[in-house]
Amino acid sequence: MNRKLLSLLSLLMIVSMLLSAVPAFAADDNEIRIGIISGFTGVFASFGNMQRTGYEMALEEVNYQVAGKTIKIIEEDDQLNNEMAITKTKKLLEQDKIHILTGMVSGDEGLAVGDFMKDKNIPVVVMYSASEDMTMRAATPNVIRPTWTGAQPMDVFGCFVAKELGYKRIYHIGEDYSYPYNQLGGFKRGFCRCGGEEVKTVWHPSGGVDDFSSIVAAIPTDQGYDAVLYNGAGSDALGFVTAYVELGMMDKLPLLGQSNTFEQSDLPNMPKEVEGLYSGHLYAESLPTPQMKEWRARYEEKYNRIPAAAAEFAYSSMRLIIRALEATNGDTDPAKLIAAMKKVDLTDDPRGPVYIDEYNAAVQNVYIRQVQVDDQGRLYNQGLYTVEKVSQFGPYDPDVYLAQPPDTGDYPKDKCSDMPAEMLTVDKDYEFIPW
Amino acid sequence: MKAQTVRKPILFILLATVLVSMPFYASPYTITTFIRIFYFGLLSLSVGMLIGQLGVVSMAQTAFFAMGAYVLGLIGFERGFPSPWADIIGIVFTLVAAFLFGMISMRTRDMVFMMITLAFGQVLWSLGTQNTSLLHGWLGIVGIRPHTIFGIDFNIQRNFYWASLLIFIICLALYWILIHTPFGLALNGVRDNPRRMASLGYPVYWLKVVFFVISAFFASLGGIMMFYNTGIISPSAMHMSRTSWILLCVILGGANYFWGPVIGTTIAVWFEVLVSQITMRYNTIIGIVFVLVVLFSPSGILGIANSWWKRKNRKSKNQINTTQNV
Repeated sequence: MNRKLLSLLSLLMIVSMLLSAVPAFAADDNEIRIGIISGFTGVFASFGNMQRTGYEMALEEVNYQVAGKTIKIIEEDDQLNNEMAITKTKKLLEQDKIHILTGMVSGDEGLAVGDFMKDKNIPVVVMYSASEDMTMRAATPNVIRPTWTGAQPMDVFGCFVAKELGYKRIYHIGEDYSYPYNQLGGFKRGFCRCGGEEVKTVWHPSGGVDDFSSIVAAIPTDQGYDAVLYNGAGSDALGFVTAYVELGMMDKLPLLGQSNTFEQSDLPNMPKEVEGLYSGHLYAESLPTPQMKEWRARYEEKYNRIPAAAAEFAYSSMRLIIRALEATNGDTDPAKLIAAMKKVDLTDDPRGPVYIDEYNAAVQNVYIRQVQVDDQGRLYNQGLYTVEKVSQFGPYDPDVYLAQPPDTGDYPKDKCSDMPAEMLTVDKDYEFIPW
Repeated sequence: MKAQTVRKPILFILLATVLVSMPFYASPYTITTFIRIFYFGLLSLSVGMLIGQLGVVSMAQTAFFAMGAYVLGLIGFERGFPSPWADIIGIVFTLVAAFLFGMISMRTRDMVFMMITLAFGQVLWSLGTQNTSLLHGWLGIVGIRPHTIFGIDFNIQRNFYWASLLIFIICLALYWILIHTPFGLALNGVRDNPRRMASLGYPVYWLKVVFFVISAFFASLGGIMMFYNTGIISPSAMHMSRTSWILLCVILGGANYFWGPVIGTTIAVWFEVLVSQITMRYNTIIGIVFVLVVLFSPSGILGIANSWWKRKNRKSKNQINTTQNV
């Protein structure tokens, strides 16, 4: 080896270390550092940016101050790459020395970060990632999810489709990863319990399809299916729905959406024919409560668009963090913070009252929604029914639910007759309260 | 001349001291970044050695990088196969795959070789993203942690750092020894004139296949280190963007130099760390820098350093010559 190369190498290392040895933030006791990791660019960029609008609103309400301390936000973009998410999380912990970690938009991202954080003593508040095991089979005391699991709204929606719409057989097409599995799992349980017969399951690679016309053309219209359920979101949902409309399928089989399919992140770009389609979510932008009206008016004034669930969830999660910090009087001790987070009162949330259960998951209202056009010609989700206080276990006993295997691409089975008997009967099923 | 021979070991010792004692003075994130440099360094070494010694560009190295980790995750982490054996099986599996694939791909040259390795990498990537029953699709295999061996807990960052450093140095030393053996010299002959080497009686084809397998060994070792460090192996580890990124690291450093891949990776990783603190669009800036380097110095940063050094030397030599003539 040449001497010059060696000196270059050592110079390089020394320079790089000098650059990093200076901590980016001097340890300031009067500062609370919150790390946010999310997909601000990439496939779900629309959701990541909706999130940002939401938590910014919550922070501006308190002017980035809590208990006399300043809140510092450190955002990291992981481009929905799990490995990048871990590297960025390490950066937030080791370099920025954050007190609280939050964010996370996709199901896989949440599982990866949640697993990484399980032996780190830092509170994690999950804003949108909905893979249920984070607060179930893989639950850890430092992970709090004041938002949702994939099955939570879909169990209600499945029951609604079977009971109120009277459908017996559904043809399902979905994106092949953890969050849609969980959505479908919930849908199948609710659908079968309330009188459905079969959900035929087809998957397509997520983010890997450019042209949905062949997938749509393969849907059988003559085999007695009552409806098609599209279980996808973001650019996939746009592509699928557009192909569905263009191929004239709307007249042949009604289309149902998963929770995110008709979300405001993508709804403005969808064809007008989606008017009248149903979906189930924990959020409906048309909720006529004073909290929602006030919040939505402020949001529309600031951002000039209808807020989506991702914005509300981020707003609500950030408010949980702020209120917990108020309760501890700015103390960032993880144990105290987590205890305070579990006690925070979220009954005045714009999307309706939210309660944190003993699994650190949210118990909240589920809304059955229909896409409609408002007086300005914009597509929005009109609520039809409310089901109150739905937990992540739906109407099931937690022990019965947890005894089941986790939802995968081929579990639960398509035929309702294959479903375990204990999942088909419950003591008290949902009460659909019309709006 | 004497000053040089004395200064060389001093610089080595200095560099070694700086690296070994790093956990005592540097911030944890610096340590994390150096761990990343070590495992990505192994990957770029496996790409760079093929370019430098054999003159072929392989786009399949990231697939080998992920393959060992996936096998380790499947049998070791998920099915509880005991620790050192699962890691060894992961590497051996990769070597066997590299051998079989090398037998096919080494029949081709230049552009065709690049394309066939690219196809191989992309097939494995698609398998990783689309197979959800075994490989868990996009999510990958999540949750592995470093083991405790001989009472040393490698879950503690500094222990993991020293282990990575040791592995990295051993690999560099192995590579150094390898290219100075008759085998390594024969490879250079194959690179420069395969026909002459064949006529001299060298088994050109098998030399290439064996070297390909050795390069896969470095890649899979790096992949397993990454798997333990991040706790996750997902298809994004072998995504096309990773493949092109590591190729650019090699070119940035200088593909034909021994230290090229290492220096290129060190710069690229540190650059990313520093630029990402300023802007979220850091990939754009990194891309521009890459373009500039390749545009102005196709032989990378070491190429720039080398030509600069040569010019300086020539100048001083000329001076000596003129004085002698007088």
